[in-house]
Amino acid sequence: MNKKAGPLFYVFLVLFVFVVMFPFLWMLASSIKPLSELFGEKAFSPFTSNPTLQNYVSVFVDYPFMRYLWNSFVVAGITTVYTVLVASFAAYAIARLNFRGKPIILGVVLSVSMFPQIATISPIYIFLKNLGLTNSYLGLIIPYTTITLPLSIWILVTFFRKIPFDLEEAARIDGASLWQTYWKVIMPLAVPGIFTTAILVFIAAWNEFLFALTINTADKFKTVPVGIALFQGQFTIPWGEISAATVVVTVPLVIMVLIFQRRIVSGLTSGSVKE
Amino acid sequence: MPQTDIDPHKPIKVDKKTKKKKSDAKVGYLLVAPALLLILAISIWPVIQSFYFSLFDLRLNDPTKSSVHLDYQLDMDRYLQNYPFLIGAIDSEINKGNAAGDLGEIKATLEELDGRIQEKPKAAENYDLINEKLDNFENIPEDMKYVEIEEGVAEDLVTSVKDINSELKAINGAGELEQGDKIVGLSSSLNDIVVEPNFIGFKHYKDNFSDSRMWKALWNTGVFTFISVLAELILGLAIALLINKAFIGRGLIRASILIPWAVPTAVAALMWKFLYDGQNGIVAKLFADVGLVEKMTVLLTTDTGAMFSVIFADVWKTTPYMALLILAGLQTIPSSLYEAASIDGANKWKQFLTVTLPLLKTSILVALLFRTLDAFRVFDLIYVLTGGGPANSTETISILAYKVMFSQTNFGEGSALSVIVFLCVAIISAIFIKLLGSELIKDGSGK
Repeated sequence: MNKKAGPLFYVFLVLFVFVVMFPFLWMLASSIKPLSELFGEKAFSPFTSNPTLQNYVSVFVDYPFMRYLWNSFVVAGITTVYTVLVASFAAYAIARLNFRGKPIILGVVLSVSMFPQIATISPIYIFLKNLGLTNSYLGLIIPYTTITLPLSIWILVTFFRKIPFDLEEAARIDGASLWQTYWKVIMPLAVPGIFTTAILVFIAAWNEFLFALTINTADKFKTVPVGIALFQGQFTIPWGEISAATVVVTVPLVIMVLIFQRRIVSGLTSGSVKE
Repeated sequence: MPQTDIDPHKPIKVDKKTKKKKSDAKVGYLLVAPALLLILAISIWPVIQSFYFSLFDLRLNDPTKSSVHLDYQLDMDRYLQNYPFLIGAIDSEINKGNAAGDLGEIKATLEELDGRIQEKPKAAENYDLINEKLDNFENIPEDMKYVEIEEGVAEDLVTSVKDINSELKAINGAGELEQGDKIVGLSSSLNDIVVEPNFIGFKHYKDNFSDSRMWKALWNTGVFTFISVLAELILGLAIALLINKAFIGRGLIRASILIPWAVPTAVAALMWKFLYDGQNGIVAKLFADVGLVEKMTVLLTTDTGAMFSVIFADVWKTTPYMALLILAGLQTIPSSLYEAASIDGANKWKQFLTVTLPLLKTSILVALLFRTLDAFRVFDLIYVLTGGGPANSTETISILAYKVMFSQTNFGEGSALSVIVFLCVAIISAIFIKLLGSELIKDGSGK
């Protein structure tokens, strides 16, 4: 359908973007307000006459926010590298090799991706606790496999299937071993797909909340989502700092999304995969 | 094998030798193995274990129930913290000639019991080691602490210890002992040396099914899932239809669609908590100004207000994602179909009903499946935004399971709840997969 877009359509577009972005814009506006303007009459004004960076300073000085960022980065990074590696082998085999039971394997992968995390948490928690792995990076990397491995296999299978089969046949006829074919012929062509998968896995691991909340309770090992969520004290909620922290987390995400939007969309829709 | 129907691009190997095929299969299994093993160990096994745990009275804050055991066990730690001192105290009373006859008999019984305990190889092995550790005020490791015993032995122990305890109480009551209270105290402590098996079968399920809080949580989850997914579907479909055309700024739209999806749910929930705030929240004020709610505080402090807030935030976060999936489906519909339909005189609405919807069926069902399951296991959003409150009005089944496990440290009951979540999810998936047929797996092998 290539209908022409009228002026009314653009009005709708602007409105749509505004509604979607409104919470972020409001957080941005609030993050530079001094404390006194976050409450009372001035709380409803989008602008402040006394902009301040105090909230941003406070986030990094009064809270171990840098530590949270680093923890999230390490956990999400390692999870991404290792899951995508393991998943790429499995996906390659499922997409391009001939063996029995492939639909069953795909079925298992798909059903596991639908498992509710809460159903695995008690054994995983007890297991990690007995091994002394609570409050460690490994304590999160292990359970994150539940979420990220089925996701990456599912997306990668779709990508591997799109690579023309003649190439592989040609390489094999030329005498290349399966291993050589994989690394020299298929891999270079699969790089975009693998990269897309890596972005999605990284976002999933970065955003995970339930495991992070229960397994890593020490401040030293908290990740960003849990760290920010627990900014709120028992009686007071430091909204200024929370707005600033939200902006700090969101801005890199916005930049990443702007750069990689095409890839993300292709990854999300290729296997019609959940977040 | 059915896979031949599924993968139209499967390499055709008519001319290849079967040997090659076999080695292909071997490599295939080898490559899939690590992923499958990981999935088995970290996803499937824990679910089975959750079910197993749910059959036990498992409480992490109670040392006698902190692990699952089907057998009677003897708590060596507790036993050796009391038995030697009890014997010592009785000896000193006997030496002083207080109730020597009765105490002598009791001592003999106790020593006989001790002999029976030491008959257990594991008990004998660790007996002195534990004593030594206790003398040095060291902690006894869990695996050393408990010795399995047969049910009969356990019952004997319990009755003998009880008898001894009541006899000692009687002697002490007669006022014949110097350290009477201490002796009675030590022997009372022996009453707890036998740890009963904490297997309770389906009791947690029975309790949960007759617990109104569980049904309330299940109802809340259902309401949340149904309303939010329905709203997301309608809005997502509308948005997808509207933006399925050529226009300037597609990139901007795509990016703004992806941002709510990409931001961590916990952070989004916190943002909305700020916007909904009863005193200073701008969205609360807007809603109050347009008359959607009576007062600003209604949003987070009343039952329906809180449920509405949670659903609204969820719709904001995931409608764009829904729109994206439906848009991808829309773009696969060839425009020639619409041309043909309009030549046949079908109007826009008719075209939507006869061309768009039937061809979108799979995309919509797949999107609905993923969204419904996601909504059903909702945790982060509600945990951060309302914490399940006010008065449990937004408490979903996952939140309840979490609270039971980690606030009440009742892992047995929490596991039962999480198994209930799992079963619900399985039922929902089964319904959707039935509707979808084999489309789902086919979908992955598409182009």
